[in-house]
Amino acid sequence: MSENKKWFTLDLGLNKKSKSSGSCGCGNSEGSCNSRMQEVKEEELSADEFYERAVNAAIGDERKKDGFEQVFDVKMDRRDAFKKLTASLLIGAGAVSSCTSITKDSDSKEKAQIDWEEQFKGNYKLMTNDEKKSTVDRLMRSYELRTGKNINISSKNAEEDVLFGYAFNISKCQGYMNCVSACVEENNQDRNSQMQYIRIHEMKDGKGFNFNEADDNYYHEVPAEDHFYMGTQCYHCDNPPCVDVCPVQATWKEEDGLVVIDYDWCVGCRYCMAACPYDGRRFNWSKPEVPENEVNKNQHYLGNRMRKKGVMEKCTFCVQRSRKGKNPACVEACPTGARIFGNLLDSNSTIRWVLENKKVFRLKEDLGTEPKFWYFMD
Amino acid sequence: MIAFSSCKNDDGYHAVTDKIEAEQKPYHGNSSSEELLVGTDLITVKEGEFTFLIPERKEQIKSYACIECHSKPLEQMKSPEITKAHWDIKLNHANSDAMNCATCHNPDNMNNLNSLTGKDIDFNRSYKLCSQCHSGQFEDWKGGAHGKKVAGWAPPRASMTCVNCHTPHSPGFELRWPVQFNTQKVIERQEGLERAEEH
Repeated sequence: MSENKKWFTLDLGLNKKSKSSGSCGCGNSEGSCNSRMQEVKEEELSADEFYERAVNAAIGDERKKDGFEQVFDVKMDRRDAFKKLTASLLIGAGAVSSCTSITKDSDSKEKAQIDWEEQFKGNYKLMTNDEKKSTVDRLMRSYELRTGKNINISSKNAEEDVLFGYAFNISKCQGYMNCVSACVEENNQDRNSQMQYIRIHEMKDGKGFNFNEADDNYYHEVPAEDHFYMGTQCYHCDNPPCVDVCPVQATWKEEDGLVVIDYDWCVGCRYCMAACPYDGRRFNWSKPEVPENEVNKNQHYLGNRMRKKGVMEKCTFCVQRSRKGKNPACVEACPTGARIFGNLLDSNSTIRWVLENKKVFRLKEDLGTEPKFWYFMD
Repeated sequence: MIAFSSCKNDDGYHAVTDKIEAEQKPYHGNSSSEELLVGTDLITVKEGEFTFLIPERKEQIKSYACIECHSKPLEQMKSPEITKAHWDIKLNHANSDAMNCATCHNPDNMNNLNSLTGKDIDFNRSYKLCSQCHSGQFEDWKGGAHGKKVAGWAPPRASMTCVNCHTPHSPGFELRWPVQFNTQKVIERQEGLERAEEH
């Protein structure tokens, strides 16, 4: 696997212990060691030289094509960036301060190793299955090192012969918003900014779908007289304009039709947010926070794993659930059965019956975005 | 390199519905709801072209079998000496001209439900009773447009039956407060209005 890696490894001596710590003959891998101290002195490396060597060791095969180059097809020299990062990471790991502290805190060293590899990993879209597994393993380990708690992050790929689709019964929705709160809890959305992927619009009867006059934040007993309710969220368009505008290809359509985001590749430019005609996308203006006891620990790399400040996120049809055969949390939570989810390629599925037997429509169909989210009425 | 513009998507289909049409096949993939359905007692329903599972009902009714108390016809049980039963049931279903208890229950055979023509309907198949009047909902339910699934989207299909969501004696959904209210959105909107006023 290491042969075809699309990112670079900072070798702090964790992966090849015998090689890097071989200079010490005392056999004591933890704690202080006098003989090592002397050896370091003998070599008499200045701080600058030390960085230089570390950079050279880390860059290795930098000039080979990596994730950046595969996407952009341009050559970039990131030597300077590497240099700075190496320096700060080494300081963080205590590698340059003294011999004792190199081995004193192996956790912080491992953290630094993980941070390094995460920093320079490729785009998830281009990763092999092994690479996908490595990154989720690193993320799980990192969470464990930082919080002392375990999470489960999946990297399950799309399954063959599956294309996910959704139908929403406008006659049935009563505006209770159980879907909204189930979604927030399932997908670890930021509690401070009260981010929500789903919006339920309260609309006046006889006015059609008039979003200008609709209210998506009502608080009174529902259903209100002379009103109907319709929900909007990401429609996982078959021809998604958000994907076209992304300058770094951090968002794409998976084989099973889910439009997903690599939170670690997103640069937060918000072009996709502007391109979406349905207000399906959300931006993290601040660091998303979820109380530890409320974190949903069943996660997917492309789904509900914790995001960071400055990246986009949105509904993924609960990829962590749907790829396991479950319904998205909103479908499961809906008390009225207004939400129907299934496999569009399965001619025996209930979603297909809805499409073929009910009078269905999609929002802004004339734009050619081809949403895989249909509305219908009884 | 000259790029020809086309109204077709990358995968060569004009519309997603064309793609669905062309690539559809009965699903026999790895995803399954079997595991999710473990622990739920299910029975098979065959209605026309549809075959699917619904939750078993009789075991869930605490006071079943009914004849354990209804040991004789109802007329003979009506007496001031016997403790009043089912006092908590208030019928709120259609109006009293159209329906009363005997529309669905047979006073002479409490263990079964009673069709409009007096035929027995098993408690496990109570949807047959509902479908006598609610034929539109019945068609939608069979197809999958009405009601909820028991577990996931993947086969085998297991759907909730009428009484899993609707109380038969009061089947309507009640008014209630939404479970969510976004106070942050209120603040942001207020700020937006204030900023608009400044300009």
